[in-house]
Amino acid sequence: MTTRARVRSVVKHLALIATATLMLYPVLWMVVSSLRPQDKIFQEPGLLLTEAQVRNYSDGWSALADTFDVYLVNSAIVVLGAIIGNLVSCSMAAYAFARLDFVGRRPLFAVMLMTIMLPVHVVIVPQYILFSELGWLNTFLPLIVPKLLATDAFFVFLMVQFIRGIPRELDDAARIDGCGHGGIFLRVILPLMTPALATTAIFTFIWTWNDFFSQLIYLTDPDKYTVPVALRSFMDATTGTSWGSMFAMSVVSLVPVFLAFLIGQRYLVRGIATTGIK
Amino acid sequence: MTVFHELRRRTAAPAEPRGRVPGEPRRKRPANKKDNLAALVFLAPWLAGLLVITIGPMIASLVLSFTNYDLLQPPEWAGFDNFVRMLGDERLHSSLQVTFVYVFVSVPVQLTIALLLAVVLDRGVRGMAFYRSIFYLPSLLGSSVAIAILWQQVFGTEGLVNHFLGLFGVPGRGWISEPGTALSSLIVLNVWTFGAPMVIFLAGLRQIPSMYYEAAAVDGAGPLRRFRGITLPLLTPIIFFNLVLQIIHAFQAFTQAFVVSNGTGGPSDSTLFFTLYAYQRAFRNFDMGYASAMAWFLLVVIAAFTAINFYAARFWVFYDD
Amino acid sequence: MRHVVSRRSVLFGVPAALALSACSGSGGGSTELSNEPVTLRFTWWGSDARHQRTQQVITLFQEKHPNITVKGEFKDWNGYWDSLATTAAAQEAPDVIQMDELYLASYAERGALLDLSRVSDHLDTGGIAEDVLATGKVEDKQYGVPTGLAAYSMVVNTDLLDQYGIEVPDDDTWSWDDLKEIGAKVSAAGGGKVTGVQSWGFDMGGLNIWTRQSGGRLFGDDGNVAVKPAVVADYWRYLVELADKGIAPPPSVTVERATATLDQSGTATNASAFGTWWNTQLTSLSAASGQHLTLLKLPGEADAKQRGVYHKPSMYWSIFSRSKHPGEAALLVDFLANSQDAAEVMLTDRGVPVNEKIRTAIEPKLDPADQAAVRYLNDIKVSPPPRVTPNGASDIEKILQRHTEQVLFGQAKPEDAATSFINELQAEIDAAA
Repeated sequence: MTTRARVRSVVKHLALIATATLMLYPVLWMVVSSLRPQDKIFQEPGLLLTEAQVRNYSDGWSALADTFDVYLVNSAIVVLGAIIGNLVSCSMAAYAFARLDFVGRRPLFAVMLMTIMLPVHVVIVPQYILFSELGWLNTFLPLIVPKLLATDAFFVFLMVQFIRGIPRELDDAARIDGCGHGGIFLRVILPLMTPALATTAIFTFIWTWNDFFSQLIYLTDPDKYTVPVALRSFMDATTGTSWGSMFAMSVVSLVPVFLAFLIGQRYLVRGIATTGIK
Repeated sequence: MTVFHELRRRTAAPAEPRGRVPGEPRRKRPANKKDNLAALVFLAPWLAGLLVITIGPMIASLVLSFTNYDLLQPPEWAGFDNFVRMLGDERLHSSLQVTFVYVFVSVPVQLTIALLLAVVLDRGVRGMAFYRSIFYLPSLLGSSVAIAILWQQVFGTEGLVNHFLGLFGVPGRGWISEPGTALSSLIVLNVWTFGAPMVIFLAGLRQIPSMYYEAAAVDGAGPLRRFRGITLPLLTPIIFFNLVLQIIHAFQAFTQAFVVSNGTGGPSDSTLFFTLYAYQRAFRNFDMGYASAMAWFLLVVIAAFTAINFYAARFWVFYDD
Repeated sequence: MRHVVSRRSVLFGVPAALALSACSGSGGGSTELSNEPVTLRFTWWGSDARHQRTQQVITLFQEKHPNITVKGEFKDWNGYWDSLATTAAAQEAPDVIQMDELYLASYAERGALLDLSRVSDHLDTGGIAEDVLATGKVEDKQYGVPTGLAAYSMVVNTDLLDQYGIEVPDDDTWSWDDLKEIGAKVSAAGGGKVTGVQSWGFDMGGLNIWTRQSGGRLFGDDGNVAVKPAVVADYWRYLVELADKGIAPPPSVTVERATATLDQSGTATNASAFGTWWNTQLTSLSAASGQHLTLLKLPGEADAKQRGVYHKPSMYWSIFSRSKHPGEAALLVDFLANSQDAAEVMLTDRGVPVNEKIRTAIEPKLDPADQAAVRYLNDIKVSPPPRVTPNGASDIEKILQRHTEQVLFGQAKPEDAATSFINELQAEIDAAA
């Protein structure tokens, strides 16, 4: 590498690191605070740690009705179900909208978009009553089944846009080879959509992991609580909030999400790097 | 003629609308019976979800918007009262204003930064995976209950920003607790979580065949030229997608305002987003009928802007199929 | 495709279900105790400390009544009310509900709470003073059993006063002007880091006290707003003066601390010497502050037309009107209210116990801050408590907060804010009727 290129690279890295640190300041503060004694958290601002302790972690772990791993597992179950549901059902629906020509395609697409335009708070009560009649209250079903039924129109739309970026010539080539729609879908479209699928998986993970309201409403047994509900249980407006425990457990719950992203983005990299025609 | 030139030719004529919206078929094909059946199979889960889980409650909420419903007693028919009431409700008007400002400022800023960083990160930077994850981390925290405190640490009266300004002798203020600046702090919060659209842009960038860039390099095109001639046009479907969806999401913004203002939309309603106001009416004032009317009004507004987006798309979005 | 619920029934059934399920009428189970195993759902809000204590109390109860299983459902304050409203809408609310004074009338008048006289066989309220018990009545029916009492107080940081060489005021005779004076002294000595007073104006207690001291009432017997605009305007003028003179922090700091939690307040961070609080918050404040905090009686009581201070029920126990096991639910409430074992676990977490016998019994077990809170409650002279917040006015604290913010930031004059506040509050009450 020439000196000039090296200097440019160093500058680029420095700039990136500076931006990253700035962006991460709140996160870093939270990690540092989780290591501070509870009563010092607001008295010592800034990132310098004078006495580190892990007490908040052990306190927070067992502060609620169950040890925190129960909540992590619950969140994992809901998230896994949601990811599988979304990947399967949304890709199928997206294929139909992007590649198939059928009666009512345009209006149905509009309806699909409309379903994401209504704020959740006004459908939650009728939905709650519906799930109550089905007997699904206090289970994970109201949180997972909708994903199996492609109610996340966001991802259908995302995948539609990606599929439209795949040249139809590839479909035609597969059709010549004797594939029906199923074959085209499985052999041509899905493999080439890997970035979109990875994106869907990552986003479903993030949003479901953080989805507080539905999880609060549908899960009544504390041992079914998920991470966001459990984290809020550390807060109380009228007496003291256990900030130390809450920060500690927030850090703990950030770790799997961060790791999932770190690993998952490998799949974002794979895509059409070459001509895409095998 | 090189591929690069071919591509330039195809994208050089904006006067001739080349992009298509999903509703318009490429060529007039008769609705293929075989396609109908296949469509039914592929759409089966979505249709089931739509009819059982989504449509029912949506229609229920539409019906509720014509009633007075306090959640604990049966709904009473109220005709158009709720909608008339919306016309005179000053807090509603101010919340609409807050929401509009939020949408039209934070979305463009967020998407621009997301796109820029995606492009930078896409081009062989060492440790790219690491940087990507770092820039994505804020999105993980964006809706967390801890964000209120964390944002205070940055923008509060004793926060990082004021300390930094203090270094230059500029007096700080309560960025979150003053009515004039509270909304801006939420806009910054939305921009801070640019990781989400950035990831989508990255995925889109990955899908651009590198042969185009190779051909362009052979032709002697510099990075800026390549960006304008190849990257941008081929990325337009993704840009379009991000634009449509970030606008929809921004209109419905709730959690961040809720957490940072502790559910009040304060100070002085300066962060009272439309959905936050609807939520307050529904769950704190037992006024679900009115909240439903508000929600459907919002849906109409969002649908209108989305339709505008789709219409305008035919002038700048380029599809390869 | 197999649908569990047919499409048509979903389309038309959901609105119908809403109507049917919300049908009033007696509903609910019989008040007789059952011989079979019974499961009760019991919900409360609080932080993890309260959850742990309450779970212990539940265990004690289950030992006493082996055929009853109690499932605790705890949430944070905001999520609690969202969840309660949603579950009540679907007729699925828990059996025993922790209730707050702000919402008691709203839920009771809408038929969501059980009239406790129906379960008087299982629930003994004899150990509670009549006037305290009456605070749980709405339209003359008992809907809630008060769990604990609190009283408004002035918390003072005596360490700070010592540090600045200022004497602690005589809290039997001092006035609001005296508070201004001494606050100014603290601010002057504090040099910008400490202010005399932590501003208020964000909770109902202060406004109630101010109104009562002027001889008036916040709400009338008919449930309408009864306070005069001039009184409310004065309330805000005082606050504005405090901020202008530097006795209270600048508005942006005040608002920032007010929307944060208790441990970030001026009192808890030792940034203000005086602050108005409920006496039961002394424990949390002391823990956060680390310095000496004492309870003082409120200013202006000696000269007031009527004593402002009153015993406020910190929260209530209520039973869902459609509970399938009202009898067993009443047993649980009875245990919570009257059992000394339970009280020894809960201590003052839910307020100073209403039952006087229990209050005396647990006093030795309390830590110093809690004992101080109990002593304060016993010592102060009160006048009868105000009526329960009427149906429709549950949002009063949010409305108050918004107007206080407008006044502090100079967006509205106190007089205009007062009229606006009263009108808005009355409009909400009218809409709920």
